[in-house]
Amino acid sequence: MNGAAMGFKLSHLQSMLLFALLISIAFGFLSRRRPIDRVKYIVWSLFLFLLIGVGIGWAMYPFSR
Amino acid sequence: MADETTAPAAPPQDSRREAMAYVIGVAGWLVPGLGHALMKMWGRAAMCFLTVGVLVILGTEMRGNVFTSSGNDAFDSLGYLADLGAGTFYLVARSLETDGADVSHAGGDYGTRFLATAGVLNLLSALHAYEAARGRKA
Repeated sequence: MNGAAMGFKLSHLQSMLLFALLISIAFGFLSRRRPIDRVKYIVWSLFLFLLIGVGIGWAMYPFSR
Repeated sequence: MADETTAPAAPPQDSRREAMAYVIGVAGWLVPGLGHALMKMWGRAAMCFLTVGVLVILGTEMRGNVFTSSGNDAFDSLGYLADLGAGTFYLVARSLETDGADVSHAGGDYGTRFLATAGVLNLLSALHAYEAARGRKA
């Protein structure tokens, strides 16, 4: 059985982490020129993605059941 | 006395640069990263190619929905436009999606977002390449 037939099984957190990492890298490379600035931007953007993602998750928790 | 009501004609160098910027923008849309590669911005070109490529592959492997032009409602049409932003990678997604979409679980739903994000990210990258070619961004 190949990978496409099985599909990737990722949890919510893993999917969000992957998404946040990829988008942060893309934003960092597009918006900054110097490598050190890119790294700072990627780390900061990733942190905000996760903070806001987890924050929204907790905010929705009371309405999930 | 010169006629002040008519705008001065654009220098030929500017119009050539503008045409080149359009070519670079379209190239960047068709093949992720190609617009930046044409301007020898290798890091950005590689980043764009890889991030859009990884998003498309992950999106299809997670059995996300690759929208087609025969959408039933406005959301399907918007999804199609977003997916189309990935340029030729949209065709890659269509060819990889052999088992069809499965959005009955969270992975499939995430996959749909990954695919749409790949398209929108590629459009952003192509626009960046176009602006850089015009000399507005470094």
